[in-house]
Amino acid sequence: MASRLFVRRRDGRVEVRVNDAGRDILREVFVHVVAAERDGEHEWHLSLHSPINPSNDDDDPLSTLARQHEIATNAELALMTSGEQYLNEAEAWAWLSTLQVALRATAVVHGILSDERLESCPPEVLEEIQTIQHFLFDLAACL
Amino acid sequence: MASVTPLRLASTEGDVQSDVSVLTERPWNVVVWNDPVTPMAVVVVVFRRIFGYSNNKCTHLMLTVHHEGRAIVWSGQRERAESYCVKLQVAGLQATVEQDA
Repeated sequence: MASRLFVRRRDGRVEVRVNDAGRDILREVFVHVVAAERDGEHEWHLSLHSPINPSNDDDDPLSTLARQHEIATNAELALMTSGEQYLNEAEAWAWLSTLQVALRATAVVHGILSDERLESCPPEVLEEIQTIQHFLFDLAACL
Repeated sequence: MASVTPLRLASTEGDVQSDVSVLTERPWNVVVWNDPVTPMAVVVVVFRRIFGYSNNKCTHLMLTVHHEGRAIVWSGQRERAESYCVKLQVAGLQATVEQDA
């Protein structure tokens, strides 16, 4: 049986059992989300700003500002704690949210909007997606 | 002897019909859309955390998204719908709001 990457301890904390190579991947993902939220030219930027109410020309600025703030806060917290061995609930949630934001952004950037497109995407993109999914499966299992 | 004003007047159907114009606004729905990459377990965790639904309800909603392409996960006031939609988007799910048809 493969060992789990994240384990919920009896004191409520989430133990991170990811090796250095895995942490490097996580750190890179978190850095990308932080950069995408700040930089309008980043390839992930648009996917982080999808419409809230598509029937309106513009969304409520307060809602979009709240989204921007929360995504950035989660990504920065995830980045700051990327070397930690134990995560509290808020930190684990920040990791999960940021990984999921990165996963969707990766899919959107590569036009992967259907199962068929996922099956026919380049191997390196599929590997990138499956790596993030692996982290997410294990983290979701202990939240 | 002073006249006594009744504290409460009985309402009749006629009073209501003539005096009150009842406006019922259609509720706003929070819709979550299917995508080919998001793990099912993540969707369940996000629904449970944001809405506080039971595991069964979260799983049912997740499967509705998976099989039907979308699911209405919450309905009500517009401001709250937008707030929930933002929380779902912050958690990386594809979500929108729409007024009930």
